[in-house]
Amino acid sequence: MLPKFDYFAPQTLQETFEQLENRGEDARVLAGGTDLIVALRAREVLPKNIIDIKEVKELHKLSYDENHGLNIGAAVTLNRLIHDARASGNFPVLIEAISTIADYQIRNRATLVGNICNASPAADSAPALLVLDATVNIASQEGKRSVPIQEFFAGVKKTSLARNELVTSVNVPTPPKGSVGSYLKARRTVGEDLCVVGVGGLAAPNGKTSKSLRLAYSSVAPTPVRAFEAEKIFESTRPLDHLLDEAMPIVRKAVSPISDVRGGREYRMNLVEVLTRRLVRRLWGGELDWRGIQ
Amino acid sequence: MKLTVNGVDRAIETESNKTLLWVLRHKLRLTGTKSACERGDCGLCTVLLDDRPVKSCLVLAVEAGGHNVTTIEGIARDGVLSNVQRKFIEHGALQCGFCTPAAVLAAEALLKRNPSPTRDEVVEAIEGVLCRCTGYRQIVDAILDASTMKS
Repeated sequence: MLPKFDYFAPQTLQETFEQLENRGEDARVLAGGTDLIVALRAREVLPKNIIDIKEVKELHKLSYDENHGLNIGAAVTLNRLIHDARASGNFPVLIEAISTIADYQIRNRATLVGNICNASPAADSAPALLVLDATVNIASQEGKRSVPIQEFFAGVKKTSLARNELVTSVNVPTPPKGSVGSYLKARRTVGEDLCVVGVGGLAAPNGKTSKSLRLAYSSVAPTPVRAFEAEKIFESTRPLDHLLDEAMPIVRKAVSPISDVRGGREYRMNLVEVLTRRLVRRLWGGELDWRGIQ
Repeated sequence: MKLTVNGVDRAIETESNKTLLWVLRHKLRLTGTKSACERGDCGLCTVLLDDRPVKSCLVLAVEAGGHNVTTIEGIARDGVLSNVQRKFIEHGALQCGFCTPAAVLAAEALLKRNPSPTRDEVVEAIEGVLCRCTGYRQIVDAILDASTMKS
């Protein structure tokens, strides 16, 4: 049985902002519901009001062009994104990451924007969005603002969103030409478990012999994190094994995993190293096995 | 609220905190949809919402207003079992039967969107349905067999 609440389904963005303005202090936004309804049942959240945004047409928009990249509305489900040829063709790291979220039925309801607003440290979409330099578009009655994805996460289950604000969409710029990306995830079972460690990477050609690399992690810190310092090591033409050896202590400094039911701190630290080496070798090798998710 | 269940328009009164699963079982007495974990893990409450399989314990009943819901009771036509249902019987793809409605519905939805799936695609389609008797192999075989029969 779920706790009692009042349900609102505004039809327009303006109505949604008004509802958030009036009831936002004691409200939760409902998109796919696959996190919110679980949290309600466990009484982890007890909002007086639930504001369902799925009646708002604009929030179902999914658009792509090369200059502006991919724009993902707040009500776009994971499966819609996964089966969109423009998304899978241009953003394989994102599609690979979100294909590992829960299972097929859940992905028919769950949304990408919901995955980041839930702000779990284990959010699988986050490392992909971090390496793709995504931007979060936020709006309220007072106006609009956009924040880089790494500034959006504020802590465990916390975002930088104010109570009267709504994430309307996420924008993902087209990655540099010739870049390759991949997401590796350690998990205990397929489908019904959260990530133990996730690592996303994007490598872009940098001149003829060198590459620039972006690396990001989930489940190893209070928020998903980009490893900016470690990335710099790879701007070099030295052999990859040397670069990896040099980068590992810096990667370890970028993360601060805890021990929990899914894995101990030391185990996670070890996974960070193993998965990073595997991922970067894969990105350097050119040939990528897209389905080879751990 | 109004919704269409197995092709029949229904008007029901419900509170906002009731799930689609609860309404199906307690208001409409369609108990083929099973209630187990009620937290989105087991998948046994799977129904088709506008032809897409979803876990009805994670859908508020009010969210289904104006939409089409198909439960296991809506799969057989005039007492005649569907291909998928017949193949489940032929392959012995059930033991206790508790996950069978969910597995059949997930399979029906898969074959509708992809009439000739690979084994991997079948596994993906039913990964959200947990079987305690671990009869997955027979379930996958039955679905593959149903797919070739259709084509």
